[in-house]
Amino acid sequence: MKLSSVISARFGKPDSTALKGYREDGGYATWLQVLSEKRAPSSLIEEVKTSGLRGRGGAGFSTGMKWSFVPGDSPKPKYLCVNGDESEPGTFKDRQILEMDPHQLLEGVGIASYAIGAHIAYIYLRCEFKKGIETVEAAIREAYDAGLFGKNIQGSGYDLDVHLTMGAGAYICGEETSLLNSIEGVRPYPRNKPPFPAVEGLFACPTIVNNVETICNIPHIIKNGAAWHAGLGHSEDPGSRLWCVSGHVEKPGVYEIETGYKLQDLLDGPCGGMLGGRKLKAVIPGGSSSKVLLPEEVAKVTMDTPGIRAMGSSLGSAGIIVLDETTCMVDAVLNLMRFYAHESCGQCTPCREGTPWLVKILDRIERGEGREVDLELIEDLASNIEGRTVCALADGACWPLTSIVRKFRHEFVAKIPVSARKDVVSA
Amino acid sequence: MIKLTIDGNEVEVEPGTTLLEAARALGTEIPHYCYHQDIGSDGNCRVCLVEVNGNTDKLAISCQQPCGEGMDVQTESESVVKARKGVMEFLLINHPLDCTICDQAGECPLQDYSYHYGSGDSRFVEDKRNKRKKVEFSDKVMFDAERCILCTRCTRYFETVRDSRPIGVENMGGQSTITLGPNGPIEDPYQLNIVDICPVGALTSRDFRFKQRVWFMDFADTVCPGCSKGCNITAGAYQGKLLRFVPRRNPDINKSWMCDDGRMSYENYNISERTRGALIAGEEASFEDAFAKIAELVGGGDGVAVLASTSNTCEELHALKAWAGKAGIAHLWHGSKSWESDDFLKESDATPNTKGAQMLGFEPVPTEAPALRGLVVAGEVEVPPALLANLDFLVLQSPVGGELAPAAMVMLPGLTRVEKQGTWVNSAGMAQVVKPALQPGSGVVDDWQLWRDLGGADGAEWSTLKALTRVCRAQLEGSAETPLVATES
Repeated sequence: MKLSSVISARFGKPDSTALKGYREDGGYATWLQVLSEKRAPSSLIEEVKTSGLRGRGGAGFSTGMKWSFVPGDSPKPKYLCVNGDESEPGTFKDRQILEMDPHQLLEGVGIASYAIGAHIAYIYLRCEFKKGIETVEAAIREAYDAGLFGKNIQGSGYDLDVHLTMGAGAYICGEETSLLNSIEGVRPYPRNKPPFPAVEGLFACPTIVNNVETICNIPHIIKNGAAWHAGLGHSEDPGSRLWCVSGHVEKPGVYEIETGYKLQDLLDGPCGGMLGGRKLKAVIPGGSSSKVLLPEEVAKVTMDTPGIRAMGSSLGSAGIIVLDETTCMVDAVLNLMRFYAHESCGQCTPCREGTPWLVKILDRIERGEGREVDLELIEDLASNIEGRTVCALADGACWPLTSIVRKFRHEFVAKIPVSARKDVVSA
Repeated sequence: MIKLTIDGNEVEVEPGTTLLEAARALGTEIPHYCYHQDIGSDGNCRVCLVEVNGNTDKLAISCQQPCGEGMDVQTESESVVKARKGVMEFLLINHPLDCTICDQAGECPLQDYSYHYGSGDSRFVEDKRNKRKKVEFSDKVMFDAERCILCTRCTRYFETVRDSRPIGVENMGGQSTITLGPNGPIEDPYQLNIVDICPVGALTSRDFRFKQRVWFMDFADTVCPGCSKGCNITAGAYQGKLLRFVPRRNPDINKSWMCDDGRMSYENYNISERTRGALIAGEEASFEDAFAKIAELVGGGDGVAVLASTSNTCEELHALKAWAGKAGIAHLWHGSKSWESDDFLKESDATPNTKGAQMLGFEPVPTEAPALRGLVVAGEVEVPPALLANLDFLVLQSPVGGELAPAAMVMLPGLTRVEKQGTWVNSAGMAQVVKPALQPGSGVVDDWQLWRDLGGADGAEWSTLKALTRVCRAQLEGSAETPLVATES
């Protein structure tokens, strides 16, 4: 396994956050070239489309395709919103970018805004990213001072203002339409779709919401060409991604690797194997909102969308949570469900009422007061939540739960008093 | 037009029609909470989910999903019923189920849908969530957060209809609750509408709460007597006592709303003492004697005027006018009463039928009234003091005599505004059917019959109120300067 360094190339360099260093490394050259050549926006969209870049936020949708949904003939202003509300449990890659290479993001913001015809871009960061916020804020100031943003940038006739805006601590604001409501200053409930943001987003205008890492890929793709990117890693999900590994490995952290490699190799290689040489029990591979994988599945799965789908899970935000044999899966999923119940925005009935109910059931099982019928109840409740809400976060709450209950049923049963087990009850 | 199939029935609708509306056109009522005809939907309650083109993974919310050409919609398929039952279960697990003491019981969609989609048993064996109860949203509205299903109809009513945000949602997830904003109690003069649109018993009227179970009450679909707007209402009474007015939807007049002043005006019509039978010079008398006395006093009608309240129905005014004509009375005047108007529904004319009176030939009291010998007052009306000076006689027909009673030579009983039946014409020229919410009891005859009998009118058109209404409507049509729109109750 080979680590790559596209996005993370400048991580760890002394003064990696300063404009001077970024420019010395060739930064902003692509942005200035786009401006001076007056590149046709459609050619940029085409380039990103053919590059095969998929969004890095969780849904994995084609970025170029998303951009192409912006109605070019709309008389309304268009907006770019960068989603830096990174709140998915097990995910901490965007933070690295924000804290270590903010200008890479800003260059991407410039090119992406230009491509979709936006003259205002919002960078939305979760408020807990104190350092990231300071770093990005300083970088924006530097970029303005250097004439890289503002009115009539470098005499090109193109205007772009970049605003930094902060959340207030809610997980839901990472959902793209909640994020838009948050920027608008209203309660951040997710919006019903359609209309999709590309058609009717921020202030009811065409809006593209892209993840921080997604945007960081843009300068590289425009600089090196779509073919270069399409040739990285897996052909159906190409690129170089930041993988966040957390949990019971010797060296947790963010690793940049091209798609297509085996997950097991990442854990055994760069991650230094399991913590204390203990045995692997499970991996939640795509941020906490994805279905759990068993060791035998981990051994086979490749780190790309088709590979992970084949195992019935999803790549999500590439937050790989590694759980070893000492983990109690009931405890683990209870912990997760507490998070989802706490962070449910409360808009839709099934998620608002269902997730706290699931917590109560799991808590009861954990306390040793469960009944085996509770396991069927959990499945049924999940089926009444999944696909029945405005946003996908309720689905995301159900996926780890149902997969863990199915794959680790014995651990749940073990916590259930013998008298409340099925074979006893029915006997 | 867009063609689609709902539960196998083909339907054709305008573009933009939602599935819920299209189904309604077919007579299929899809359960809903957050959707309300006059404030739209939010898509949050998830009970109106339907299956489109066989997609059972992701059901569509029919309150927002626009109809599409060729769509195949199922409103009662297996997946839909399962999802709906699921939503009902989720709504009920933390609901207090205190129907026995809840004012909404009997007119509660949560109760109704529970009968259809709920289960007799509960799979919920945990402790229910506690939230605030008895929260005073204002001196008019009380809020119970435990009953609330967070459909946000109330907050959206203020946002969309009143352009204000006195209440909103605070906290997240299961702890979400409707709360007062930073400016304190709701002051909106149209705030009681949120009590009506609340699909559960979370918002209750502090005036009506705990007064009566709705299934014991009698209801009349009628028109608000408070002003000339003519908002459609349902008046609710119990054992001869009015307990409330609530708005009744009329898309052309008041949609689903009414003002709090009009709503609370029901209190004016629960009168304990009233005129029963006829009085001559304060002494009880038969109607025959009273009529004879009036005929004697009026004589040839010269120097006599009729002053009619504009809360009289057109039928009553028509009968009054017929008698006055016969008695040779030339002056047909109507009274006026005003209150403070606003820019929404409440109009300054605080009587319901000024337009009707004018169309039937009644004129406002002239500023310089001619010298009068006698005055016949019909209905509750403020009499300008100038008219009372130098009178030889006063005939007073009214449910309550009031200050004028001692001065009246003859007193006749009358109906209050909520006892009347017939036609009122609102300020926009719409003739509306008025129905009685209360019965006046003994010693009171319908006003129209009183004038008919006083004038000795007979013939087919005078035989029933229905016949008279027909005649009256024809007259109104003839005199309408604006097109008359008849609104049936």
